[in-house]
Amino acid sequence: MMPISNIQPLAPALPVSPAEQPGALAPAQPSGDSFSTMLGKMVSEVNDQQISAAQTVNNLQAGGNVSLHSAVIAMEEANVSFQLMVEVRNKLLDAYQEIMKMQV
Amino acid sequence: MIDILSGIQSTAAALDAERTRLDVISENIANANTTRGPDGKPYQRQEVVFESALQQAMDGQQVPMLKVAGIVKDPRPFEEVYEPGSPDADAHGMVAMPNVNVNEEMADMIAASRAFEANLAVVKNARAMALQVLSIGKH
Repeated sequence: MMPISNIQPLAPALPVSPAEQPGALAPAQPSGDSFSTMLGKMVSEVNDQQISAAQTVNNLQAGGNVSLHSAVIAMEEANVSFQLMVEVRNKLLDAYQEIMKMQV
Repeated sequence: MIDILSGIQSTAAALDAERTRLDVISENIANANTTRGPDGKPYQRQEVVFESALQQAMDGQQVPMLKVAGIVKDPRPFEEVYEPGSPDADAHGMVAMPNVNVNEEMADMIAASRAFEANLAVVKNARAMALQVLSIGKH
């Protein structure tokens, strides 16, 4: 009878490598400000403009050295920049909803 | 800060200047018959002088802006009217009336208010253009 030889091990098991290398799939960092920083800046600028328009109107009503047209122009500027902000928000929401509707 | 309505600074300055011009015209009309001022003399017609000055706009550029250089007195002579009953009459019964011509002031007022209107139209248009730009891509 032939002696039963030892079972030879297969090739030494490969070291388990991590499924994915950290950082390989991380999004590239944008060089400038992130989008959220930009959006936050924009919101605070629009807010500043609203506040300064309100101050101009207050000043006008308190009899300060403000002309009627500068108050109205300040309000108009605040209004247009607010609309710009709303428009950016609408676009952002549209893009989000488009992605959520995507078939996987 | 973002410059939403570009070029509005110079329009606002022009509106200010035209407003001052209208104020001076109203003073002239109000005092068209004032024969005695604080200095004892009749009212002297006033006129606004405009000048264009370079001013720093919001984006750091130098833009020419209209401003009031000063309010000057009209050197034209007073009109002498015969009015012996007036306490301001001289020995011959003549009273010096202000050198204000109301017709001339009315014409100036029309010109000033039209210039004001033109600047307001610029503001209105700038606003309409900004809103139209915001509606790009809407359907």
